[in-house]
Amino acid sequence: MTQDEAIIRLAETTAAALSELLEMFAPGQVSVGEVGIVGSDQDPLEDVRAPAVATSVSYVDGVTGGNVFVITKEGARRLAAAMMGAEPAEPEPDQPVELDEMELSAISEAMNQMMASAAGATTSVLGTEVEISVPETRSFATPDEALGAYERAPHATRVAFSVCGEPARFVQLLPNAFIVRMTSALDELGAEYTAGDDGPAGESSETPSLSGIPVRVWAELGRARLPGAEVVTLPTGAVVELDRQADEPVELYVNGKAFATGRLMVVNGTDWAVRIETVFNVPSST
Amino acid sequence: MARVLVVDDAAFMRKMVSDALAKGGHEVIGQAGNGLEAIEQFRDLRPDLMTLDITMPEKDGLEALRDVMEIDPGARVIMCSALGQESKVLESIKLGAKDFVVKPFKPDRVIEAVAKALA
Repeated sequence: MTQDEAIIRLAETTAAALSELLEMFAPGQVSVGEVGIVGSDQDPLEDVRAPAVATSVSYVDGVTGGNVFVITKEGARRLAAAMMGAEPAEPEPDQPVELDEMELSAISEAMNQMMASAAGATTSVLGTEVEISVPETRSFATPDEALGAYERAPHATRVAFSVCGEPARFVQLLPNAFIVRMTSALDELGAEYTAGDDGPAGESSETPSLSGIPVRVWAELGRARLPGAEVVTLPTGAVVELDRQADEPVELYVNGKAFATGRLMVVNGTDWAVRIETVFNVPSST
Repeated sequence: MARVLVVDDAAFMRKMVSDALAKGGHEVIGQAGNGLEAIEQFRDLRPDLMTLDITMPEKDGLEALRDVMEIDPGARVIMCSALGQESKVLESIKLGAKDFVVKPFKPDRVIEAVAKALA
């Protein structure tokens, strides 16, 4: 995988995580637009619509890198209202939009939650835990103010969003070390499992015609072996010990075949999910 | 009804959690915006229960949790964080947290966690 492909893949994965979260706050009012690489002669916040608010969260520990979400003040006001479960008040004509402390805090919290989810996605690709910093929020009255607001990085991506009918932009500022790790991690993943890969042509994938068929997927926490007599006499409240430690990965099965290992996690506050850690080799003949 | 201390660096989240608790008939007796304030208020207020965010300035939620459990090994703490990684959940539970609520959440999820922690 080339560096640019890895960078775009990262931007797309992150944008998907962001959009999923924004959808929870503002259902049906979020769309993802163009995903692109920012040229070395461009400012990542070039041509951003203002007045706007920008929230930044950095990756720390596992990898370093900056993430900035910029949205017009009007968009921020509407998103904050959606997060609070309220209808946004009609904007005053000819009056500049001002955000109060609670609205700013809501936007900063939205970014915190979006980046926590994106860090989760990045963690699963890199195989190292990625931590995030506390969000920082600032305002730009004009597009010019936004230029140079964030330290340049060797690589940057930008993704266009539309949120509550207003334009927003997500920017990732990526140091070289991040790109190198990302590229090799994606290559490893690609080498382990190419089926279903929507990557560049040339990497053979034999399953496109079967790709629409639903398959049963389940996760296995662990197993136990007990004498039949013991099983039939198990009382309510009995504890059956499984053969796996609580901090070991769980196994994911597809139609009866062990397919991957992963970590249990909670999504949407209540639902179990599995974050894939290792995908087993899939024989190309099946 | 429980007397609850709500800890989160975002005023917005403190309001969301407080509103959910009020809906469940609980009383928010204090709010803190970072781990240091959280420990101070825990000492002063001795709440029945505490909700604790993880990513916070000054002192993060896991460090605060460790300190609170040292002050009172019987403290009831519910973690409330956007970081849903299993390692965070496991570490919190190992340190003594009663439950882990991943943001974004529905108010009922908080009420349910509180009910379980008080049981």
